[in-house]
Amino acid sequence: MGRNLHEQRVERQLLIVLLPSLALLSAFVIYPALYSVYLSFTNEALVGPGALAPRLVGLRNYARLFNDTKFWNSLLVTFVFVLGSAVIGQFVLGLVCAMALRRPIRLRRIFSSIILLPNAAPEVVAGFMWISMLSGGEHATLSRIVAAFGVEPADWLNTFPLAMIIVVNTWRGIATAMILLTAGLSTIPSEIYEAARMDGATPQQMFRRITLPLMMPTILLYMLISAVSTIAVFGLVYALTRGGPGGATELVSIYIYNQSFAAYQLGYGAAVAVIVLIIALLLGVGYVKAMKVEI
Amino acid sequence: MYTVATKRLAQEGKNSNECGIYGGQIFDMGFGLIQVWNRVHFSHDPEEIVRKPREEHVMRKSLFASMCAIGLVAGLSTANAETIRIAEHRQARIDALKAVVPDIEKKYGVTIEVVEYPAPEKDYLTKILTELRAGNAPDIFTAPRGQDVADMASAGYFAPITSEVQAWDGYGQLFDVAKQLVTGKDGQVFVLPAMLNVQQLYYRRDILEKAGISTDQPKNWQDLLDRAKEIKTKTGAYGLLFPMGVTWGGGAFGEGFEHLVVGTSTPQLANDDGTLNLSSAGVKDALGFYAELIKNDLMPTQPLLGPEPWVVPKYEMFPAGKLAATTCGSWCYIYDWGPKSKNPIPNVTSVVGTWLIPGKDSGAYVLVDVDSAWGVSAHAANVDLAKKVMLELGSIKADIAYSQGLGNIPGRKDAAADPEFQKMTALVPVIAAVAKGKYLKTASGFSAVSEGVARATEALLRKETDAAGAQKILVDYVKETLGDEMVK
Repeated sequence: MGRNLHEQRVERQLLIVLLPSLALLSAFVIYPALYSVYLSFTNEALVGPGALAPRLVGLRNYARLFNDTKFWNSLLVTFVFVLGSAVIGQFVLGLVCAMALRRPIRLRRIFSSIILLPNAAPEVVAGFMWISMLSGGEHATLSRIVAAFGVEPADWLNTFPLAMIIVVNTWRGIATAMILLTAGLSTIPSEIYEAARMDGATPQQMFRRITLPLMMPTILLYMLISAVSTIAVFGLVYALTRGGPGGATELVSIYIYNQSFAAYQLGYGAAVAVIVLIIALLLGVGYVKAMKVEI
Repeated sequence: MYTVATKRLAQEGKNSNECGIYGGQIFDMGFGLIQVWNRVHFSHDPEEIVRKPREEHVMRKSLFASMCAIGLVAGLSTANAETIRIAEHRQARIDALKAVVPDIEKKYGVTIEVVEYPAPEKDYLTKILTELRAGNAPDIFTAPRGQDVADMASAGYFAPITSEVQAWDGYGQLFDVAKQLVTGKDGQVFVLPAMLNVQQLYYRRDILEKAGISTDQPKNWQDLLDRAKEIKTKTGAYGLLFPMGVTWGGGAFGEGFEHLVVGTSTPQLANDDGTLNLSSAGVKDALGFYAELIKNDLMPTQPLLGPEPWVVPKYEMFPAGKLAATTCGSWCYIYDWGPKSKNPIPNVTSVVGTWLIPGKDSGAYVLVDVDSAWGVSAHAANVDLAKKVMLELGSIKADIAYSQGLGNIPGRKDAAADPEFQKMTALVPVIAAVAKGKYLKTASGFSAVSEGVARATEALLRKETDAAGAQKILVDYVKETLGDEMVK
């Protein structure tokens, strides 16, 4: 009985401790998400009769969405962007940096700082900096660099828009990947490597048979965080291209913005946002199942 | 001790009354009160403990007096200076507004707060619409183009100003076209047409003359296309630019598409029954003209797909002579290529000539529209006062300040005749064209039409479709957005 009372008191205390977080989450995450679901069933707009007297339109926004080629294009662009920058670019380079910087190399701290620097610049500032790097004309930074190798200057953001935003987002995300993967690497006991070395394992074998398998939980966690946060990338790409040219870099986040605040169709924008929310949730569930952990 | 503090408080309260209340003084008063409270309640001095009830009584009186003083001063400061908030964007517009603010403040005894917004028109519009929807927008704001007015009015954002404008002493001075542009079918007026923009075609006279190309007014669209082809062949420069695509925002509609549609056999998009006439031959003809320009490589298409599509063609290619003709407004002589612009064209008024916009088969005209027409928020704190202040933004002085900064045309005749305006020799000739200008009657739903035109022309830019396909994109988009019944 006494134990029960104690448990009840602990539960109450926990609830009190959690209440501020719950209140904030409810106000700024759960309520807006539920309101978005409601909005997606209306013709709410920023102009016209839809602003004065919005009404329920049932599934009209969703029906329209499935026939909207620009929406499907934005999903495809987002998929390539996530795959290229988060899954491949940031992960591979982050892992390389994490492994390289574990070794006792000279100027390690300086290299670490350099890798962390992209995160210090606000994303819009970083975006404008990259615009000056990638803009057209022979005086742009990248054009001058490639000109030294005899390559013709190009308007990089217009000629290779999707590849360029993948490069920029990879540059920006390496530090996060490196930090997470370094934490994962540090959990692998050094004795295992020593034993493998004594058994005559090569560095490649140690990487494939020891590092990767033992890092898998960290890698999956990183993939989950990185994929979901990359789906939500907006400011960096909006500053760089605004989704152009011709929708070539219109990520689904930019498509939601364009529908809601350029075409003023809040209801339709909300419908797209709800679909993206479902995709992100499915992705999360998939990763969690792959990690075989209970939440 | 607390007597000193109380005196200090009383003195500060007096100062507050004399000088108005400031945050620092409130802080000092609060700090003083806390000191008094601490001394009375946390003292261990026996004498003070004996004195405590009497002191508490005095302290309560002091507190009460101080709070009354704060309330009185706060009340007085609110009553004395009612604040009207005016939204404005782009530095040149903000500077013009600030030039007339002191006179208005003096006339009505109000405080005017100029709330600065992002410079790009589309960003400004997005922000102000979001605030209007949330009910916290400034009291007075602008609708950037005529195409925005009907949609903002039907959303209930504007307070009607019909009677106030018609009773205003400047009303009789407004150009007839200005009155027509802002008067709805039901006679309601929601915005003040303080400034007009007058658009036509601007061409590089120096380049054409040097290449031996005629600078005569093109007679029709075919003549204009032939001229553009001749420019491309003889000079290598692009022959003609019409704004297109999604990233140009409202410009694809208001700085290009409108020009052509009003010169076709179906010159209006708004039907009398409130529906939109988008399946017309005129719409298809206009899109077909665009398709011809693109097919023959007569206009630069790649920059128009970028994030700031106007920068390369208008501010770089045209001044450099790599683009020979473009649609533009009177502001181009001042804002885009004038001496104070980023890429000035020397002797701009002689080097750059103008053509009227030719009709499809015949006729020529300028396109007239309201330019950033002023309106009063339906949710303004004091709508009547805001209306009075807004009418002052249509004064001669305000019109001239805006003309000087932006190169647009005053909406009133007496401002255009004013000696200060007459000094702007680049703008004076445009005045004569205002009276015979054409315009597109706007209606609710034009925001969707504008976005639909942007999408349709972007498909043309990307060579994904032809004129009929582009028209289908426009029609489908507007139907999806507004409902099938809205489009004919």
